[in-house]
Amino acid sequence: MLAIDDLTVRYRTAAGEIEALSSVSLTVAKGSTLALVGESGSGKSTVALAAMGLLPPEARLPAGRILFDGQDILTMNAEERRRLRGSRIGLVFQDPFSVLNPSLRIGDQVGEGLIHHRGFTQERAFARAIELLDEVGIINPEAVAKAYPHELSGGMRQRALIAGALASEPELLILDEPTTALDVTIEAQILDLLESLRVRRGLTMLFISHNLGVVRRIADEVAVLYAGQIVEQGATEDVLQRPVHPYAKGLLAAIPRLGQKKGRLASIPGRLPDLRNPPTGCRFARRCPFATPDSEAPQVLRDIGARKVRCTQAEALRDIAWPVLGEDAPSSPVVRAADAAPAVTEPVVAVEGLTKRFVLSNGPLRFEGWRPMRTPVIISPVDDISLEVAAGEVLGLVGESGSGKTTLGRTILRLTEANSGTIRIAGETVSDKPQRALESMRRTAQIVFQNPDSSLNPRKTIRELLGRPIQRFGLAAPGDIPARVNALLDLVRLPAHYADRYAHQMSGGEKQRVGIARALATEPRFIVCDEPVSALDVSVQAAIVNLLADLRDRLGVAYLFISHDISIVAHLADRIAVMHRGKMVEIGSAEEVMRAPRHPYTIKLLSAVPRVDGPIHGRGPTAVSSEILSA
Amino acid sequence: MVAYVARRLVFVVLVLVAVSMLVFGITALLPANVAYLILGSFATPEQVHALELKLGLTDPIWQQYLRWAGGFLSGNLGESTLMNRPIGPILAEAIGRSLMLTGVSFVLIAVIGVGLGIVAALRHGRPLDHGISVATYLGIAVPEFFWAIVVIVIFASWLGWLPASGYEPLSAGVWEWAKHLIAPTITLVFGHLAHVSRLTRSSMIEVMQSPYVTAARAKGLPERVVVLHHALRNALLPTITVLALDFGRLMGGIVVVETVFAYPGLGRLVVFSIQNRDLPTLQAAILVVAAIYAFANLLADLLYARFNPKIRFGRNVA
Repeated sequence: MLAIDDLTVRYRTAAGEIEALSSVSLTVAKGSTLALVGESGSGKSTVALAAMGLLPPEARLPAGRILFDGQDILTMNAEERRRLRGSRIGLVFQDPFSVLNPSLRIGDQVGEGLIHHRGFTQERAFARAIELLDEVGIINPEAVAKAYPHELSGGMRQRALIAGALASEPELLILDEPTTALDVTIEAQILDLLESLRVRRGLTMLFISHNLGVVRRIADEVAVLYAGQIVEQGATEDVLQRPVHPYAKGLLAAIPRLGQKKGRLASIPGRLPDLRNPPTGCRFARRCPFATPDSEAPQVLRDIGARKVRCTQAEALRDIAWPVLGEDAPSSPVVRAADAAPAVTEPVVAVEGLTKRFVLSNGPLRFEGWRPMRTPVIISPVDDISLEVAAGEVLGLVGESGSGKTTLGRTILRLTEANSGTIRIAGETVSDKPQRALESMRRTAQIVFQNPDSSLNPRKTIRELLGRPIQRFGLAAPGDIPARVNALLDLVRLPAHYADRYAHQMSGGEKQRVGIARALATEPRFIVCDEPVSALDVSVQAAIVNLLADLRDRLGVAYLFISHDISIVAHLADRIAVMHRGKMVEIGSAEEVMRAPRHPYTIKLLSAVPRVDGPIHGRGPTAVSSEILSA
Repeated sequence: MVAYVARRLVFVVLVLVAVSMLVFGITALLPANVAYLILGSFATPEQVHALELKLGLTDPIWQQYLRWAGGFLSGNLGESTLMNRPIGPILAEAIGRSLMLTGVSFVLIAVIGVGLGIVAALRHGRPLDHGISVATYLGIAVPEFFWAIVVIVIFASWLGWLPASGYEPLSAGVWEWAKHLIAPTITLVFGHLAHVSRLTRSSMIEVMQSPYVTAARAKGLPERVVVLHHALRNALLPTITVLALDFGRLMGGIVVVETVFAYPGLGRLVVFSIQNRDLPTLQAAILVVAAIYAFANLLADLLYARFNPKIRFGRNVA
């Protein structure tokens, strides 16, 4: 159906030409699903755009062909390509929040392809859109068709986008991270939907994702992309259970698995090579623990059994596992600082009956007799929550978007003011003090934000960023501040010369390390980690999680670790609290919650998590018939 | 939606009340005595005092204001002290002529400005874009009276196609009427293009890079549909607000342009009544300008709501 042959794509940028894809070859057979997996910068989205003929003007294609049903998309003129797009090839994008036009009705956006490809009238297209919305499982399709995007939830929007991509009955569907922006339970629903559509319509799919668990649910075959090259390709279960290429091994080892506990996660050191001038040899060699002098020679994608691998040592490495390396070595985590300290009975954080309400709107105006009345619409993202965090303990907080996790974290630190409830931090009742009297609490309790890009001031060097809190709280004499900054950088394993850098000169993982160092600067006893790794790639995420675990052990810091990713929380946390619509529905030791969840919501949440091992969820009864169809 | 319009209308009324107080207050403070102005410089103090009593000028200022405002509401705008005629008809005539001029200019500013903005956005960074930038900036950077003179020199003195000044009613023939409108219109349009075209350009560039435009292309829609239906709809939102503000600016612009071209509209009436200390006319004219300004803003908000569904349905709950 789709055959990409020897495709190379370069982008002209101010800093020089970047090779985004190097000689990528792929085939997607009719009726099958190929998953393209890679981290940010691997070039996976470029493949999608190239296949749609939608590359930006600064892209150059020195070599390659993209054959769709035997015709080369690259040699077509713009008009021919336009006729193909949306009619025979459908595209579903990553972020349903920005892909729908905010000022057009859903039904118009779903149906408009039909007007231009099939010559439908506007009314007919709208009527067909309602049918399509019904097909993708939207409960009230007439009302949704008339709605505007901002009135719909993320899952509904993604369904609407899929409906739009299906409108002209395309033979090939390209999905670029279609579930990344969604909650796990919604993600599971969307994956089920895709699977059933594939069966019903005999769709061919190119599925692009960074999430190996998701890929496992949906794909027959998987291709792993690294720095613009395919490094390994084969049947999904084969590659995921027995990866051969070192990068694929590392990627899989870095994923925390539900039910497997403790120690440290494996991570991949280093970062992507400079794609302005990619190495001629193996592009992964500098991060590879198995690299030999041979790795400097150009590597080719070879057939190893039923799969293709780009590594000269493929045969030798087949059964060798990814090592847990240097900084990630399980730093004999037997002794934790908190354990060594004399048993403190007082928890570092104690919260009781905490409630935060927001007035969404004053409500519609109505009259009772002559009296104008309004009933305000109020939501409680934090609704009567009580919890304790012991010294050196990690309390994991999971829940879906909108469940109130972030608001809870901010309310505890009084970054958002509570409506009622008491907060005690390190023995001090902080809930009834005015903001200006919170000096000592601000020192004891800190926060690490989700997005280091927006939480680190872009105009300050790292030295200034880390020095400021030290100076503010008088934690070191002015002359000693540089030494303290260096010590902090060392603590988060960044080289000392990073002190002179600005945030934009660092990678995402390095920035998050600075974010952690900034929180540690005041020597806190408690840190709220608000989704600290969700903006990071899997391999980097593992290193940050390990760092947080080490710091807890060495410094005895307690965390409230907020994340939507249950596998990570389960890996790091001692206890887990589950939030749902502002309420805490379950709290217990991590093992207990993972092994025997009590609340129905926790059970639903856990079963929705896509896993890279164990039985495959989602491919239920429908999966069997799909395999018959695609055979 | 009804509640929204009603709320906005109440605001407009409040604004007009405030403006009327301001206008009345300022003109009352001016060192010009209406009675004195009416009677001329040879009047005796007794005569002046008698007239002051008759006109109620010795009453407290708030009583004077209420009487004036009440008259305004009942359609009695008072009399021009200079022309000794009721202000109503004078004003109505001037407003009609000015609205003709500003209306035509406004439509041209909107159409040409948005058009240039789109073209510049689609060709951004290329010579055409730079050309449009330079031309529109020249229009806004150099004062209107300069362009008015340039237009007169080119079209009236040099080419001799258009009259240099004046006004002819429609009854004198369509061409005669239009001929007198062209030169002031060109001047007004040129001076106001930059706002609209620059804003349209920048929001259009931003919107063209948004994911939903890529998504529209991925649906295989023709580029024309992508630009006009998907992108422009969103890119015009900020432009609509600025257009309404520009309508207000136009009301200011006509003061200069009408004076240069001797076009007997509202702007010239304002200048004329200032020069001749015709306070009642001045007050009425300024209040009318303020009213036009306020309603233009109201219209902008309503249009904005019409095109932005997030506002239409009340507060954005996101």
